[in-house]
Amino acid sequence: MKTQLFFLIPALFFAGVLYYFMLWNVYISITNYSILHPRPQLVGLETFASLFSDPDFVSALARTLLWVVVLVAAGNLIAILVASAIYNIESLRARNAATAFFIYPLAVSLAASGIIWRWLFDPDRGIDAALGAKILWLQGDNAFWSAALVSVWVYAGLGVLFYLAMFYNVDRSQIESAYIDGAGTLSVMLRVVLPQSRQALIIATVFYTLFALQMFDLPYTMLFLNPFVSTLVIYTFFKFATLYFATASATAVVILALSAAIVIPYSMFGFRKWLRI
Amino acid sequence: MKARVVVSYLIIIAMGAVWAIPLYAMVVGSLKNLSEVMTSSVLSPPTAIDPSNLASAAGRLAVPLLNTAIVVIPVALAAAFVGAMGAYALMRLAGSIRDGLITGIAVATYLPYQVALVPLVDFMKTLGLYNTLPGLALAFSIFYIPFATLMMFIFMTALPRQVVEAAEIDGASDFTLFRSVVLPLMGPGYVSTAIFLTIQGWNNLFIPLVLTRGYGKHVMLTLFSFTGQTGNVYNQMYAAALIASLPPLLVFVALGRYFIRGLLALGTGGKA
Repeated sequence: MKTQLFFLIPALFFAGVLYYFMLWNVYISITNYSILHPRPQLVGLETFASLFSDPDFVSALARTLLWVVVLVAAGNLIAILVASAIYNIESLRARNAATAFFIYPLAVSLAASGIIWRWLFDPDRGIDAALGAKILWLQGDNAFWSAALVSVWVYAGLGVLFYLAMFYNVDRSQIESAYIDGAGTLSVMLRVVLPQSRQALIIATVFYTLFALQMFDLPYTMLFLNPFVSTLVIYTFFKFATLYFATASATAVVILALSAAIVIPYSMFGFRKWLRI
Repeated sequence: MKARVVVSYLIIIAMGAVWAIPLYAMVVGSLKNLSEVMTSSVLSPPTAIDPSNLASAAGRLAVPLLNTAIVVIPVALAAAFVGAMGAYALMRLAGSIRDGLITGIAVATYLPYQVALVPLVDFMKTLGLYNTLPGLALAFSIFYIPFATLMMFIFMTALPRQVVEAAEIDGASDFTLFRSVVLPLMGPGYVSTAIFLTIQGWNNLFIPLVLTRGYGKHVMLTLFSFTGQTGNVYNQMYAAALIASLPPLLVFVALGRYFIRGLLALGTGGKA
C-alpha cells in the first residue's frame, strides 16, 4: 500500500499542479490584474461583464463555436466516408497503409501546416492558379472557412481511425447475411455497420470539439492576429501579450467552462464505461 | 474486382490526393530557387533543384532543433515512465478511490492546457524559470505526466490480470512486480506513450511562445519566425517547415503503428 502511494505521488502532484493552475486562473479572473493594476484587487464579475461587452470577444466566442460545428460536422462526414472506403478494401496491407496515410497530418505540427496552407491559399501562386479560379481563400470571411477546412484536413484522420476501430468490431456474419439477402454495400454500411459504430461518433465529436475550442496554432501561423480567424485562445493570448491578465484569465475561464461541459461527462461516464473498469 | 472495392479505391485515391497536396507542396517548394518562387505556382515542380534554402534553414534551425530535442525527448521518456508507475499504482488500488483519481486525472488531461496560460507564466517567473529550457521542460512535464498516467493506465487495463495476480500470490513486492512483471509487458504501451508525447512536445508552439522570449528556444518558434521575415518568398518558409517537421515525420514513418495505437488508446481503450 505504501509503495503504491509512493508510485502515485508524482502523477498526483502534477495533476494537482494543473488543478491549482485552473483555480488560480479563476481567481485572477475575478480581480483587475493587468499592467494598470499590477497589484490585483478583487472586482467580482466586473471583468466578465466588460468581456461580454467587448465585440472582439463576442465574435471570437461565436467564431470558436462555429468552428466546433464545422469541425464536428465535416470531420465526422469525411471520416465516415474515408473509413467506409478503407473498410471495404480487401487487402489488409492496403487498409493499414491508407489508414496511416490519413493520420499523417497529425504528426505534422500545426505551425508547419499553417505555413504550408497559407501559400496554398495564395491568390497568385496557390491552388487558385491550378484551378484557374479566383476564390480568394484568405480574403475577409473566407479566411475563417479556409482555416476551418485546414483543421478538417488535420484532424479527419483521427476520426477515420476511431470509425475503423468500431467497424472492425462489427460481427462479420451480420454483414455476410445482409449481402446474401441482396443488400448493396451502401445499405450494408448504413444499416448494419454505422449504427453499431455510434461510439466512434461520440468519441470523434468529443475530440473534435476540444480541438476546435483550443484552436490557436493553425490560424495564428496562417494569418497571425487576423480578426477574421480570431478564436477564444487567440483572444486570450492577445490579452495576455498586451498585459491584460484578468481579461485573459476570464476568457480562459470561458474556454474552461465550455470544455468542462464536454470533458467531465466524458471522463465520468463514457470513457470509464468503455474501459470497463 | 468487385464494384465496391473499385469505388473504395477511387474514394481513397481522390481524398488521398487532396491529403497529399500540402506534403507535396512543402517538399517541391523547399527546393525552388529565388527566381522560380517569385513566378511559379506552389504546385508546379521545380525546374532546377536548389538545395541552398534547405541548407540555410538547417543552419538557422540547428540550435533550436537541439534545444527542442534536449527538452522534449527526456521529458517524454521520463513522463511515460512516471506515468507507468502511477498507472500501476492506480491499477492496484480498488473501488471508488481509484475511480475518483482516474476521473480527476482524465479531466486534467483532456481540458485544454491553454487555459492555464496566466498562472503558468506567473508560476515560472516566480520560480525564476521563465525564458529557460528547464522552465520549458517543467511546463511540458506538468501537462504530460498526468497525460502519460492516463495513457499508460488505459494500456494497463488491456493487460491480462492473471499475470499480475499470479505474481502477487508468489509474494512479490510492489517494486518487484512493477519491475519484473508489469514493465516488460508494458513495453509497447511505453513506446506509444513516449512517441506520442515526443511528437506533441516537438510540435507545440503555444507553450514555448508564452514561456520564452525570442525565437531560439524551441523549433516551432524559429519556424514561426520565418513567416515574419521572408515576405513574398515561400521557398525559405517551406524549407524551414520541412526541416522542423522532419523529426516527427520520420518517427511517424518508422514507428507510426505505436503512434496510432496511442491515438486509439485515448479514444477507444487499449484493446484495439
